[in-house]
Amino acid sequence: MTPPFYIALRFLTHRKRPLLLSLSGVVFGVAIFICTQAQTQGFARYFIDSTIGSNGALVVRSRFRPRYEPLMVSAKGSKETMMGRRLYFEGITNPNEIMRVSRRFSNVVSCSPVLRGTVSARAGFENATVDLYGIDPALHARTTDILHQLIDGNFDDFRNNTSSIIIGSRLAELLQAGVGDTVQLLAPNGEYWRFTVAAIARAGIGSIDSTRVYAHARVAQALLQQPSGASMIIYKLRNPNRAPALASRFETLFQHNASSWQEREESTLQLFLTLRMSVAITVSLIILLAGFGIFNVLTMSVLAKIKEIAILRSMGYRRIDISSIFLWQGALIAAAGSLLGCSLGALMTWGVSHIPIRLRGLLYTNYFLVTWDWRHYVFATLLAILAVFIASYVPARRAAELPPVVTIRGSR
Amino acid sequence: MTSESCLSCEGIERYLGEEEERVHALRGVSLEVEAGSVHAVVGPSGCGKSTLLYILGLLDSPDAGRVSIESEPVLHLSDDELAHKRNRLIGFIFQFHFLMEDFTAQENVMIPMRKLGQLADAQMRDRAAELLEAVGLGDKLRRPSRHLSGGEQQRVAIARSLANDPKVILADEPTGNLDTANSERAFELLQNLVHDRGKALLLATHNPAIAEACDWIHEMKDGRITASQPRGTRSAVS
Repeated sequence: MTPPFYIALRFLTHRKRPLLLSLSGVVFGVAIFICTQAQTQGFARYFIDSTIGSNGALVVRSRFRPRYEPLMVSAKGSKETMMGRRLYFEGITNPNEIMRVSRRFSNVVSCSPVLRGTVSARAGFENATVDLYGIDPALHARTTDILHQLIDGNFDDFRNNTSSIIIGSRLAELLQAGVGDTVQLLAPNGEYWRFTVAAIARAGIGSIDSTRVYAHARVAQALLQQPSGASMIIYKLRNPNRAPALASRFETLFQHNASSWQEREESTLQLFLTLRMSVAITVSLIILLAGFGIFNVLTMSVLAKIKEIAILRSMGYRRIDISSIFLWQGALIAAAGSLLGCSLGALMTWGVSHIPIRLRGLLYTNYFLVTWDWRHYVFATLLAILAVFIASYVPARRAAELPPVVTIRGSR
Repeated sequence: MTSESCLSCEGIERYLGEEEERVHALRGVSLEVEAGSVHAVVGPSGCGKSTLLYILGLLDSPDAGRVSIESEPVLHLSDDELAHKRNRLIGFIFQFHFLMEDFTAQENVMIPMRKLGQLADAQMRDRAAELLEAVGLGDKLRRPSRHLSGGEQQRVAIARSLANDPKVILADEPTGNLDTANSERAFELLQNLVHDRGKALLLATHNPAIAEACDWIHEMKDGRITASQPRGTRSAVS
């Protein structure tokens, strides 16, 4: 134990009220930071996991039409060129070939072709417009979280029965249809096709759960009367964060429109990011206030210990030893405050995750959603250390600069 | 002064204050203190006694002049080197004892030793206990310094000044805050330590009886040493 650390420890523990004041500032700052980050990121994480789990991390859609820009001349004075806009052919004509090639990419775990169309659904006296997904059950189960999303019924019943469907949980409520019930889908030729509900799925995202219907691909193709093999191919990736780079690569390679989940959900993600930043700014202000508290406490401590500083200097303690005493006090407050703050933050996060909340809009949840992320704890600790260091530095420097002889003369 | 010089200064000039409040506190002061001797600096308040002690104790820098410890000039040294000299070679005793309130008597004595870092914790405790025993406080080692009487606190300060076995002890009116009995006891203690352990003691005092008991008396007036006399050669001390 170095002499400055030893003295700092004693100074700190012998002034209990200022110590508690400083400590509580850091503890609550760190705890609130962790708890609020866990909440805001909890909702965002749930949304991201749900959207990737339902719609894939990456989607390849329509084929680009060939460009003829070199042959085209922009209208005089027009700022817009053809370069910015691309035209498509609807659907994917060669999904198997695209999937075969794309599986060679190391980031691709699996992919599933989907034939998509909008149709009307009827069950009893209830009607709804639904988003029909014609899928290959085996491929889709490998690519999405559909198996985990089932809240009623059985996936095997769907897999083994081509005239069965899986419907979203909110759509099931709307149509008042349960497992085993019949739902009719209206084909473009005006004919109703009858399906048995094999299972009900809950993705957790309102827009999916209130519209989505899964049917077998071949059945959907016949119902929708679409000649193309697939409307889109959805991908499960090892690292979903690298989806934008892969999407760009796929566009070049396959000449099909490819969009990552980040691009697809940009507006919602921006909303979450804005919320998170807003909360982070608020909590950073709390930590800053705690820093001001520590600054005041340590400044008062320097003033209260002015005589002791002079004594220490007269006994041969260097300026750096004196400043170290006050920096150590800050460091001890930061260390103890961060440790207690992290524990309290974890406790608060656990408590918040048990608060009942009935959300049925954008997301589906019965409790507050939180994320347990070690980075929140590290970041909160680093923030506290930084705030305390800045708050301790000025008083420490001031203490080191005090000329001892002035104090000793003044005490006579 | 024939013995080995522990501490000396020559032509010390020191101004205090700024502009119209500027005072010429020391005017060409020269002094030499040998090992095993006790020197007293006497004079009226404001004559520059304490200022001289602070300069000799390397707590303050003169505007001109030279200070040597063990014949080595020290004023050119850096702040850290001066701090090391203070820690290793100089022991301070102040009028108001200046103990660290948050520490016990024993811990106060250990503070200079901790800085020097030459002894293990147990050795420091033993040495502090030994020094406190020597000043008659062997039974109050673990008592917080603020719970000691004024006389006891001053004795702890004396023990602390000896913690690193310094060559020089500088005492600024060490008995100024004590009653007669405690003053005599504290001075006797210091005198014995100096003579037995071959240290040099320079003290500033207003107490004529204590000054008379010193080996040398230096009279100061208006920032100058007006007379330096060995014990027994002067009639009275102002």
